[in-house]
Amino acid sequence: MSDVLLIVGVAAITYTTRVVFLIRPRAVPGGLLGRFLNVFPLALFVAIATSSLAAPEGTPAVTPALAGALGGVIGGAAFRRSLWGVLAIGAGFFYLARALSG
Amino acid sequence: MRDNPSFRQGIRDSILIFVAVAGFGTAYGVLAIEAGLTRVVAVLSSVIIVSGAAQFAMVGLLGAGAIPVLLAATGLGLRHLPMSATLADLIGPQPLLTRLRLAFILVDETFGMTLRAAGRGVDDLVAYKSAADLMLYSGFVGGTLIGARFGSSIDPEKVGVGVLFGLLFLGLSAPLIHRPRDWVVAVAAVVATLIATLTVPPAWQVTIAATAASIVGLLAGE
Repeated sequence: MSDVLLIVGVAAITYTTRVVFLIRPRAVPGGLLGRFLNVFPLALFVAIATSSLAAPEGTPAVTPALAGALGGVIGGAAFRRSLWGVLAIGAGFFYLARALSG
Repeated sequence: MRDNPSFRQGIRDSILIFVAVAGFGTAYGVLAIEAGLTRVVAVLSSVIIVSGAAQFAMVGLLGAGAIPVLLAATGLGLRHLPMSATLADLIGPQPLLTRLRLAFILVDETFGMTLRAAGRGVDDLVAYKSAADLMLYSGFVGGTLIGARFGSSIDPEKVGVGVLFGLLFLGLSAPLIHRPRDWVVAVAAVVATLIATLTVPPAWQVTIAATAASIVGLLAGE
């Protein structure tokens, strides 16, 4: 398969998964699935953050990124869950830990 | 739309996303060229796929053939299903073209920003997300162009782009924690992700961990 065809295939799969519930107006289910959809964004964001910060090389490891995570949690607590508080304190902890670890 | 206050707020709120995504786009452009794609094809992939995760998986698996690439794209794409349903609920009835356009750039970053904006009472979520999408798209495609053009002379990891991305999602998750059940979901997501990194192929890790943590949240009740 040529590279361009492969890219079109990946794009088609990606767009299909994105458009499923948006293709029909007001298609949001209720009940158990509705409750699942209610908690899924939090689970997704925490999973992405954990993957990036606690396992940056693919498996769990103690790295400066983990110090960034700790800083982010402290920043979130100190600045009332502000996004910028999490980013600023987390990045500060990360850069400090990276400098200290050489 | 440029005079819409929600659109302008979306632009302002997405400046960090623009910078971070441009870094990721640059990294992708570098890797895509190293994997053997031409510059045109590398940029084309960012223009029509708009999924950093799927594209990184694609160039990483190019040597293994089409089937592993398409399977990885499917695994990564499954997480869009609940995002799509949640966004449909947030924006309410909209013209078909608007919904198709919003779906094109239904990515983790601008979805998270839109969810956060809904919690803050932003009036026009379609305009807000359109602005965030515009920032993300221009940053990602522009970054890919730079990476594909200048190649290995650039190293986005030197500034810790991956860590900034992780912190962005940590920051987006913080306002979603209100009730004890939310803490259960967050802790379950951490544990499930760590287990998944040891047991599941990379393309499926986040999707499976998030699904497992959501099920734990359902079982935990309110």
